[in-house]
Amino acid sequence: MKDIVRTALGGLLLACAATTVSADDRPSELRIGVFTFLSGPAAAYGMPGRNAAELLIEQINEAGGIDGVPIVPTYVDEAQGTDGVITEFRRLASDRDVMIAALSSANCLALAPVADQLRVPTLMWNCDTHQMFLEDEYEYVYRTNSSTIPEFVSYALYLLETKPDLERVAIINPDYAFGHDAAEIFKETLQTFRPEVEIVAELYPRLGASSYHTEISRLVSARPDVVFSNLWGADLENFVRQAQPRGLFQRSTVVLALGETILQRLGEDLPEGTVVGVLGDGWWQSPTARENPDTQAFVEAYHERYDEYPVFPSFKMANSIMAMKESFERALENSGGTWPSREEFVEAVAGLEMENFTGTLRIREDNDGLVDQIVGVATPADDRPYPVIGEMVRYPADLVTPPVDEDPIAWIRSLDQDFLDQLPKPGSYQ
Amino acid sequence: MMRITLIAVGLLLAVLLPLAIPWLNFVFIMAVAQGFAALGVVLLLRAGMISIGHAVFLASGAYVTAFLLRQTGITDLGLILLVATLGSGLFGFLIGMFMVRYRAIFFAMLNMAVSMVVFALLAKLYHLTGGTDGVRVATPTVLGAVLDRTVFDSLLLYISLALLVAVGWLVHRYLSSPLGKALEAVHTNEVRLEYLGVSAWGVLLYAYTISAALAGLGGALAAIAVGHVVPELAYWTHSGQLVLIAVLGGIGGVVGPFIGALFFEIVRVVAAGYAAYTWNMIVGLALLGVIFFLPNGLYGLVQRLLKRGGGS
Repeated sequence: MKDIVRTALGGLLLACAATTVSADDRPSELRIGVFTFLSGPAAAYGMPGRNAAELLIEQINEAGGIDGVPIVPTYVDEAQGTDGVITEFRRLASDRDVMIAALSSANCLALAPVADQLRVPTLMWNCDTHQMFLEDEYEYVYRTNSSTIPEFVSYALYLLETKPDLERVAIINPDYAFGHDAAEIFKETLQTFRPEVEIVAELYPRLGASSYHTEISRLVSARPDVVFSNLWGADLENFVRQAQPRGLFQRSTVVLALGETILQRLGEDLPEGTVVGVLGDGWWQSPTARENPDTQAFVEAYHERYDEYPVFPSFKMANSIMAMKESFERALENSGGTWPSREEFVEAVAGLEMENFTGTLRIREDNDGLVDQIVGVATPADDRPYPVIGEMVRYPADLVTPPVDEDPIAWIRSLDQDFLDQLPKPGSYQ
Repeated sequence: MMRITLIAVGLLLAVLLPLAIPWLNFVFIMAVAQGFAALGVVLLLRAGMISIGHAVFLASGAYVTAFLLRQTGITDLGLILLVATLGSGLFGFLIGMFMVRYRAIFFAMLNMAVSMVVFALLAKLYHLTGGTDGVRVATPTVLGAVLDRTVFDSLLLYISLALLVAVGWLVHRYLSSPLGKALEAVHTNEVRLEYLGVSAWGVLLYAYTISAALAGLGGALAAIAVGHVVPELAYWTHSGQLVLIAVLGGIGGVVGPFIGALFFEIVRVVAAGYAAYTWNMIVGLALLGVIFFLPNGLYGLVQRLLKRGGGS
């Protein structure tokens, strides 16, 4: 017991040593916690986020930090499970000013009430779930990116334009809330406009499955016009490599909602004409991103350091860091230069409207982020050994996001032809 | 006497330290919660039976808590803990009726099978359980009073510690009773036990039910402390973690699993906090170290120190 106590005390002393009381004047540094997956299969999505945070924070600090205050990040691995994540959040909350958390929707749902309880400003950098702000209101929790609703409604809208006569649809999504949510949103949107659409197969392989041969057999024999999938990471790569030789891509139009993340990895193995896009607008080669010299500088620095170009999770992370910086600057402006309190900071986050690397971000009154959605098809590139996204459309966030306090599925069912007519057409974004 | 003093000092530290370092409050509650579940595993280990599926009862306690708060009007903390414990006990009784017919690897694997079925159900019955996103657990009321969350958290720690003492004492009594002693007899010579006129099936079912109820109590505490329940609670790696905590702490007494749980939580917090990229390895090495050098677990170390202290 003595030893245990000693070990515990040792740990505590370490923790105390790291804690310094911040004076009411400007702090010497801005300490933030960044929660993402650093290990396990979800690191395929989590590491590009971490890398973007690391690089962007360095760039901000080199340029003088936030009004002279450098940002010091602490990265936390979400792979330790929800209770571990909560422990870390509570531990860091004592001396961190802002949290950028988290990737997993389950973790975000668990963290949000804790953030409000501890009064820690928290910017959610991923957590797509549309349940996030549906039932609960938060004072300190904001999402700087879009939710599953605009993200997956957009793919259905794109198909309604490009394949107006589609009838048979198959779905293969990972077997957890993200996969089931996406399937429901996609189906509801298609069937609202085309009630005759038939779901000929709905498959949910488990997350991290390495073989998809059974599923591919089912998909091929179901003869779908369209195969929709929001598989991601290594799962998506495996699925494409196994499905491609069996002709799935020749028989059906395949929609890979998170396809942008594997463009660079698969190269020419990803068949031309596959519908791909990003969740949000975070594509490093979009016309908006190309026009922005800051974005290009960031992209090149990222490529130089990590030997690949940033994928959309990187931009989701970047959105959060930039939103944090912008909010601090606004809060400083409001207060006339004195360092903002946590309350003054979250006041500045609420109602934020800003330009970021790939477009604009607006935080609306329910604390959710409004971000445009980019969808297109994989097209061979002249200057690169892997496909790019062509025939792009950029759906404005205001149009494809349900209004505040409206049930998202009911909103989807209420959409009509007038709504479709307002939308930009595929290929219009160039 | 020495032992009681040590326990008292430990409890006092558990109350005082969080006053200085607030986040420890949560760590200690989680350690007690995991400790209860690990204590359940220890009961079965005493009979020489390893359950690699005991997290299912922790999960049942947690989900019962979540559903009571969400679907029914029951919000009282005491009532919730009671219902969750009894509910898990009942669940354990039903599962146990056929489970305790098996021994050794069959027992271990069947437990794991049941837990994985429950895990799959929790993840798949999306509209009922929220799928992998889990269910929110609201803050319960205490004797009709709605407390501020920070006050509630402190109170929850004190209640957990009080439960630790009360339930720990009960389990201690149980282990010293003939029924408890019979558990060891199942391990050493089951045939002889039957010849003595004692039903091994009955002895084990009794223990299985108690161990499930303990895990359920731990699950309810964890669910309330975290404020969210997810299907991973029932996943087999979580069961493995409970066995690990039991072995770490030592299966000699009631205190062992709680020491094990506290050690595990603290190693994990320190490792994850100071080595975000290698924390898995550090936790693994720490566990290996304990198992190699302290075959009787951390509680064995305490006992050895006590003996030495008592002798001098």
